[in-house]
Amino acid sequence: MSALHGLAARFLGDFGATLVLGAGFILLYLTFNVLFLIWLERKVSAHAQRRLGPMEVGPHGALQTVADMLKLLSKQLVTPLATDTFTFLFAPILIFIPTVCLASLVPLGGASAFAEMPNGLAVVVVLSGITVIAIFMAGWSSNNKYAVLGGMRSVAQVVAYEIPVLLSALAVVLIAQTLDLHAIVAGQRVPYVVVEPVAALIFFIGITAETNRAPFDIPEAESELVGGFHTEYAGMRFALFFFAEYTNMLVLGAVGATLFLGGWRGPGAEAHPWLGPVYLLLKAYAVVFLMMWARWTFPRLRFDQLMNFAWKLLIPVALVNLVVTAAVLIAVQAP
Amino acid sequence: MITPRSVLSGLKSLVVGLGVTGRHMVRPVVTLQYPHQRPDATHWGGPIELVTFPETGTHDCIACNACARICPSDCFDIAGVRPPGLKKMRATRFLLDFSTCSLCGLCIDVCPTDTLKYSERYDDVAYRRDLTVNDLLAPFGDDPFLAGTQP
Repeated sequence: MSALHGLAARFLGDFGATLVLGAGFILLYLTFNVLFLIWLERKVSAHAQRRLGPMEVGPHGALQTVADMLKLLSKQLVTPLATDTFTFLFAPILIFIPTVCLASLVPLGGASAFAEMPNGLAVVVVLSGITVIAIFMAGWSSNNKYAVLGGMRSVAQVVAYEIPVLLSALAVVLIAQTLDLHAIVAGQRVPYVVVEPVAALIFFIGITAETNRAPFDIPEAESELVGGFHTEYAGMRFALFFFAEYTNMLVLGAVGATLFLGGWRGPGAEAHPWLGPVYLLLKAYAVVFLMMWARWTFPRLRFDQLMNFAWKLLIPVALVNLVVTAAVLIAVQAP
Repeated sequence: MITPRSVLSGLKSLVVGLGVTGRHMVRPVVTLQYPHQRPDATHWGGPIELVTFPETGTHDCIACNACARICPSDCFDIAGVRPPGLKKMRATRFLLDFSTCSLCGLCIDVCPTDTLKYSERYDDVAYRRDLTVNDLLAPFGDDPFLAGTQP
């Protein structure tokens, strides 16, 4: 890696080399991750229903998603006539960029992430909020009633899940006394999921809603809205939405792992820095697996049910949790 | 109305649900990878075929047309000759139009020599109607009993 960096630095300068290599590595890994996660999703869904899932392309169907991706690449990019062209074309890009940025913020081990931010958690929250704008742009510009409904539901949904997510993350911030993701990981001698189980549960429910996963896949809702916001998208543009969804799953899973499961920490991670990313990815994929498991277990909520659930239950519980956390902290720190 | 009790019972139901799918995830799959694996068709009643008797190594169809007479769908086209030196007739043509067969099994019941049975085939396909006609004598090749007779 460092030899490659030296070679690139000769042409691009030190900063440029880090930028290009870092971005290239992240994009490569995220591409692999999407291919893997779609395969995993199909396997989980299959085995939850006592089927085998993809088995034909490659060992246990491992190359099935590669074949699917090639097929999507070769498809014609149809742009319907009455769309708002710029918005329509820009939405799939806009939904993808923040997730990649998010991926670079997660601490990978020791003191390194691809991008260092003293207020990392705040940036994470802001970046993950952009997804909704992109979804609404896609839905609105498609000039299709199902797409508009999907986009509107997405906005309605963000009002429901964003606040509990923030409140539960805030409980972690209260304990760690910082917004720096590195410091939050460093502070977890015991994973915060033990200290803050309620916040962890609310955060998990929140990121499930944030990635538009069942039981909160209200903006997509195949059985009600055709494809929801991406009804009018074809070929690789549609694939970008898929890309973004699965990337988001991994990245938010990694953020969840960072906040509640101790991030890159694990036995021997201090001594061997290369173990850090391994632990982080293991924890992130465990969260992702739980999300998939939940998807193939629970039926979709109506969005008034999600609203009731979020406003009447999650927000009060998160608030009480926050107050209790603060009270306990004050009691502990008082002389 | 959200009460602590309803929240707890809701949470319990979620865990129970996850438990159900989780249990199924670790149980063996129930599907077959069809072209590679075949189901057990021992008791399957497919298109009828002629029985091979071990004593003679061939079928025992005497072209009596009992099956053709009882068939409610008129599937059969049967012809036979009496070979010289034999008391019984011998089938020379036995065609079953499977496109009209309803697999009722009356032919099997009525066959005086018990030479009809259900086959274990379940995946017959045809793209043209005339391909649905099965020649039940085809698997037997040249009939030794008919050697020397004119067809």
